[in-house]
Amino acid sequence: MSPLRRFLLTPEAIAGAIILLALFAMALSASLFFPGDPQAIAGPALLPPFQHWSLPLGTDRLGRDVQAELFHGARTSLAVGLAAAAAALAVGAIVGTLAGFAGGVVDEVLMRVTDAFQTVPSFLLALAFVSIVGPSLGVVVAAIALGAWTGPARVARAEVLSIRERDFVAGARVIGMHPLEIAFREVLPNALPPVLALSSVIVAAAILTEAALSFLGLGDPNRVTWGGMIAEGRAVLRTAPFLSIIPGIALVLTVLGVYLAGEGVVETTAVRRSLS
Amino acid sequence: MSEITISRRTVLAGSALLLGSTALPTIGWAQSPKKGGRLVVAADSEPRNLNPAIVASNGVFFISSKIVEPLAEASFEGKDGLDPRLATSWEGAADGLSVTFKLREGVKWHDGKPFTSADVAFSALQIWKPLQNLGRTVFKDLEAVDTPDELTAVFKFAKPTPFQLIRNALPALSSVVPKHVYETGKIEENPANNAPVGTGPFKFAEHKSGEYYRLEKNADYWGKDQPYLDEIIYQVLPDRTSAASALEAEEIQLAAFSAVPLADLDRISKVPGLKVITKGYEGLTYQLVVEINHRRKELADLKVRQAIAHAIDKDFVVKTVFLGYAATATGPVPKNDPQFYTADVPTYTFDVAKANALLDEAGYSRGDDGKRFSLKLLPAPYFNETKQFGDYLRQALAAIGIDAQLVNNDSAAHIKAVYTDHAFDLAVGPPVFRGDPAISTTILVQSGIPDGVPFSNQGGYKNDELDALIAKASETLDPAARTELYKEFQKKVAADLPLINVAEWSFISVARDTVGNVANNPRWAVSNWADTWLEA
Repeated sequence: MSPLRRFLLTPEAIAGAIILLALFAMALSASLFFPGDPQAIAGPALLPPFQHWSLPLGTDRLGRDVQAELFHGARTSLAVGLAAAAAALAVGAIVGTLAGFAGGVVDEVLMRVTDAFQTVPSFLLALAFVSIVGPSLGVVVAAIALGAWTGPARVARAEVLSIRERDFVAGARVIGMHPLEIAFREVLPNALPPVLALSSVIVAAAILTEAALSFLGLGDPNRVTWGGMIAEGRAVLRTAPFLSIIPGIALVLTVLGVYLAGEGVVETTAVRRSLS
Repeated sequence: MSEITISRRTVLAGSALLLGSTALPTIGWAQSPKKGGRLVVAADSEPRNLNPAIVASNGVFFISSKIVEPLAEASFEGKDGLDPRLATSWEGAADGLSVTFKLREGVKWHDGKPFTSADVAFSALQIWKPLQNLGRTVFKDLEAVDTPDELTAVFKFAKPTPFQLIRNALPALSSVVPKHVYETGKIEENPANNAPVGTGPFKFAEHKSGEYYRLEKNADYWGKDQPYLDEIIYQVLPDRTSAASALEAEEIQLAAFSAVPLADLDRISKVPGLKVITKGYEGLTYQLVVEINHRRKELADLKVRQAIAHAIDKDFVVKTVFLGYAATATGPVPKNDPQFYTADVPTYTFDVAKANALLDEAGYSRGDDGKRFSLKLLPAPYFNETKQFGDYLRQALAAIGIDAQLVNNDSAAHIKAVYTDHAFDLAVGPPVFRGDPAISTTILVQSGIPDGVPFSNQGGYKNDELDALIAKASETLDPAARTELYKEFQKKVAADLPLINVAEWSFISVARDTVGNVANNPRWAVSNWADTWLEA
């Protein structure tokens, strides 16, 4: 049985994959369906959903099209989620590999730094970072990655500690490879799978953190974000609850989709491992 | 409880005696103020310094105006729009060099010491003039305060100072604090700044950070039978959506300063037992203003500023951002000002085509992407409305090919970015008009103001003609001539657009029906509430 077929046999994986595909479709088609600025004023203010065919999800307090904002918001959420996770995984894998492979003082120093980062709640760290540097997309990504790289670092280090004792590493040493080359060309690729298994959790957390930052007004104000939409809707929660509920549902579905798909991948690989 | 039985008994007795006349006294009963009760009010911020003599701002007044009183308060009926408080009369000399205040007799500070002219002299010379945010301008020429007797204070000015200005400044700028509390030590660090001592109808009782402020009745208050309330509690509710639900749940009885979001007012006005009140803020008009950094070469061009003015649909702003609870602005003095406003100024109709033509004329043609140039736009974060107008302005500018990038900051960072670092091209600000252009309006366009003074001209605008006009008006004593000069000022500002006035708004109160004497003066929310009462 191929891994793909096995993946497709678990129901949660299918559900996750469908949600994720829909999300990617939304993000990619945003400019196609809603060209121009999604924050442009498109109709009367506070139009409820399903009232007008061209504005199916209604409009917000300034008359901006909620559907257009939702599609463009998907783009921001996914971009931030994936970029922050990629950055966190890369930094974490490198730090973990260096610490595990070098051992001794380097290991001690790197792991104490990791501990230091781990003791600060990652959201607080992101909050502080963004409010000092100023909100923009790149800063938000960096802020989220700043609090998320410690998990991958610890996992990578643990894997590297066991791998570095294997025969092929000793072999590489014997033929005179540079230690850094051994660490990153021989050890790291073998240590990666469990690290990558963390990615779904990190992506989901990153999307949520981004939404929370935007909700608090620390997102990039020139971009539509779901968190920003929820915050905007909060002022009119009693009269126009759909303004907060619609992006809220989108957010829940996205995080659920990412998580389910991630679970599916982990389960598939776990089965393959136990089979081999 | 006892009051209910009494009223019931009165009605019963009345109906037993004379059936026909019972209706009249019962109605009279219901409307005459009752004594006692605790008023719970929503507070959206917790000012650290509660001394209104130092910090003359509405956030401070909202709480401290009940404790510390000014010489006179704004009034709907009173002469010159004033009602006496600590002063009973005021008279300006013809040469503009002195103003004589007669003070109220028999007034005691909350700690029992008598209130005298020495307190007024101390407050004016040691606090209003050197320390107060607004007093620094208005009282800049105040040289001495003579106190011939305990109840007379004569303000002496080095240069002729218009009596009209002093009069208009009394409600907001003349809070009197006790000399005996403040004379030792540094005034800014005096503990009484956090627990004020005054002469007002209520005494400061306690402040629990993040929870509430409690004020209690001053039994020795000079006002006959006043105050009616036993206690005022300011419940700290920083979340704007929670004020509406707290009112509905009867946890609070009053939410002032638009603590209930405008979008909720329609719904809340239909809730039985609650009333939406738009009166009582006439003396506190906020202006929605686009502040312009004239250091940007594009914005130094009058045509570009005119184009921006033409690109803003003021009616849309009033209707959508303020949901109708505002008025469109024509210039730097709001329409509701009875003394100075003139409608005879250049106006800018909403006309995108004209705006585009003006920008083409100015030589800023559209690039391949349809953009002429980019700007940094900083909306002030203090109000939902200023933020929303920032979102709107970005769209309005996009329509004429100006790409505005929004920069969001918290209050402190915004003030630093705009008024100290000048790191903005356009900013959205809410200056306040305080009854006289010389108090806090001319400073918005006048040149030569040092960096870092908030809510002043920090856009690098300099117009010698306008500066001369402002200087002349500040020393013109005749009220009619002075008013004429400020009409000229409005025309010049509207023509040259050092800033763009978009709208004027005030606040809305929501109160339970049981609260009496609400909104009975033009600064009601920041007045002393001595006559406010609660139906049991």
